[in-house]
Amino acid sequence: MNNLLSIQNLSKSFGGNQAVDAVSFSIQEGSIMGLIGPNGSGKTTVLNMLSGILQADSGSIKLENRSLNGLKPSKLAKLGIMRMFQMTRVFNRISAFDNLLISGQALGLSFNDSVGKADQLMQELQLEHVKFLDAGELSGGQKKLLEFGMCFMRSPKLALLDEPFAAVHPKMRETMVNFIIEKNKIGHTFLIVSHDMPIVQQLCQECICMSTGKVIASGNTKSVLSSPEVIEAYLGDDHV
Amino acid sequence: MIKTLSISNSKLWRNRLKFDFWSLLIVLLLMCFLPLLDLSDYTLGILIVAMYLAIVAMSWNLLAGYCGQFSMAPAAFAMIGGYIVGLSDFHAQLSLWISVPLAIVGTAILGALLGLTVTRLKGPYLSLTTLSFAEISRVIISNSHEYTRGDQGLNVPSMINDRLSYYYFFIVLVLLTGVFIYWLMRSKLGGFLLAIRDDQEGAESKGIDIVFYKLVAFTISCSLCGFAGAMYGSFSQLVSPEMGLLQQTGLVISMVVIGGIGSLTGPVIGAILVYLGSEWLREIGNIQMIVFAFVVIIFARFFRTGIWGFCLGLKQRLLQNHHE
Repeated sequence: MNNLLSIQNLSKSFGGNQAVDAVSFSIQEGSIMGLIGPNGSGKTTVLNMLSGILQADSGSIKLENRSLNGLKPSKLAKLGIMRMFQMTRVFNRISAFDNLLISGQALGLSFNDSVGKADQLMQELQLEHVKFLDAGELSGGQKKLLEFGMCFMRSPKLALLDEPFAAVHPKMRETMVNFIIEKNKIGHTFLIVSHDMPIVQQLCQECICMSTGKVIASGNTKSVLSSPEVIEAYLGDDHV
Repeated sequence: MIKTLSISNSKLWRNRLKFDFWSLLIVLLLMCFLPLLDLSDYTLGILIVAMYLAIVAMSWNLLAGYCGQFSMAPAAFAMIGGYIVGLSDFHAQLSLWISVPLAIVGTAILGALLGLTVTRLKGPYLSLTTLSFAEISRVIISNSHEYTRGDQGLNVPSMINDRLSYYYFFIVLVLLTGVFIYWLMRSKLGGFLLAIRDDQEGAESKGIDIVFYKLVAFTISCSLCGFAGAMYGSFSQLVSPEMGLLQQTGLVISMVVIGGIGSLTGPVIGAILVYLGSEWLREIGNIQMIVFAFVVIIFARFFRTGIWGFCLGLKQRLLQNHHE
């Protein structure tokens, strides 16, 4: 498999706080990679830099050897890097279906193609019964599924999912997991930030663990989760 | 209507917009019959000014109601549009057929230049910058006696001599503005503006270039205000710095909030009711703004969707009952 995304020495600080410190890793095309770590370890900051919301202080981000440094989120979305946020970001005052339509058109689909794709995603994500409700009227889990769907209106090269399973009903979580597995089978690439270790183990072939802005372990998910550094970072040194 | 609109798909944006547009047509059709009540020239004049303000309110609503950008300069751009027409006549004796398009293009360019700065700003900073621009432009016009005759204002040639014809002419102008905004909001640009209004960061991460689309909305809104100001100038045959007073912007905002922000019909209903109300209140002293400030507070607190939103709620309930 080829490297889809390469990150070299990525750093970001806020005032005196070094949120991300010389982080390097790469994601292979068609893989599902997990990004784990305790709260405040810099996972979301990495995702913010990958999706263009924050600009890195130093380091490089390359998608298929093309530098992404300095590009706006809208440009990155058009290049195929789609982002799902931890705090769901849907368009609350328009219907769930319109949310998908607008996302499709923003990614360059025609109106008719967007309608077709939105219908298909509503079905796949089992959101048909809330299709015409305003997004603001949906439950937290339904909103997560909707934003998840918005990322797939046009096949993304890389889907960045920040805590997609947090506070989601098990049934919806299952829908989302199955969707990810199906999309991965046809070659989609994912970077998933999650605290849900059983799902990380189920989905991710590779995993990176961050603590205090640094990568402390990376590689095969099983070996990362059993590494003493990761256990110490999550549970404290008493558990090592 | 009830048969064709199910509860479900009536909430789709295109269907909502279509219903809104038909409602606007009905409001304007009803206004066409008002002169049958044998209205005086004075009352017709009030209704014409209300329709001028309705166009400004619709333009401001395009920016604030559909895109979430709270400009404080709609009245200033109407004043600038009026002055482009006035100055074209005063200094170059240009006909309205030339000066009105000039006003539209001139305010669009000025709006785009201001937009280049303010569309990168968020929250109160955009409002404060446009507020400063509005006051600076009004003071410049007011103090440039040599070119603008200062507070005396400038004469503007009239387009039509008969007041009743002017009344119908302004109904057509409101209709054209409504058709234009309807067309705009039905396009993908409309969807992008709604997305920006609801969540800028979310919209940008889904592929929408928010600075560009906010700039487009800002430019169009300013240009429509300039057009309204130019047409008002030709009706009143006078433009003065008073057109750009902050009080006028306050009036426009209260019209949109009371009528229903984020709709086509709401700003028109609001403009007519608020302006007629302000004329009625004129008799009991200069307390219009105090009364409207209270009304806006009440609407903002208890009826956030305004009169139009209240009507939509009733319609939804009606459909629900019908469905059950």
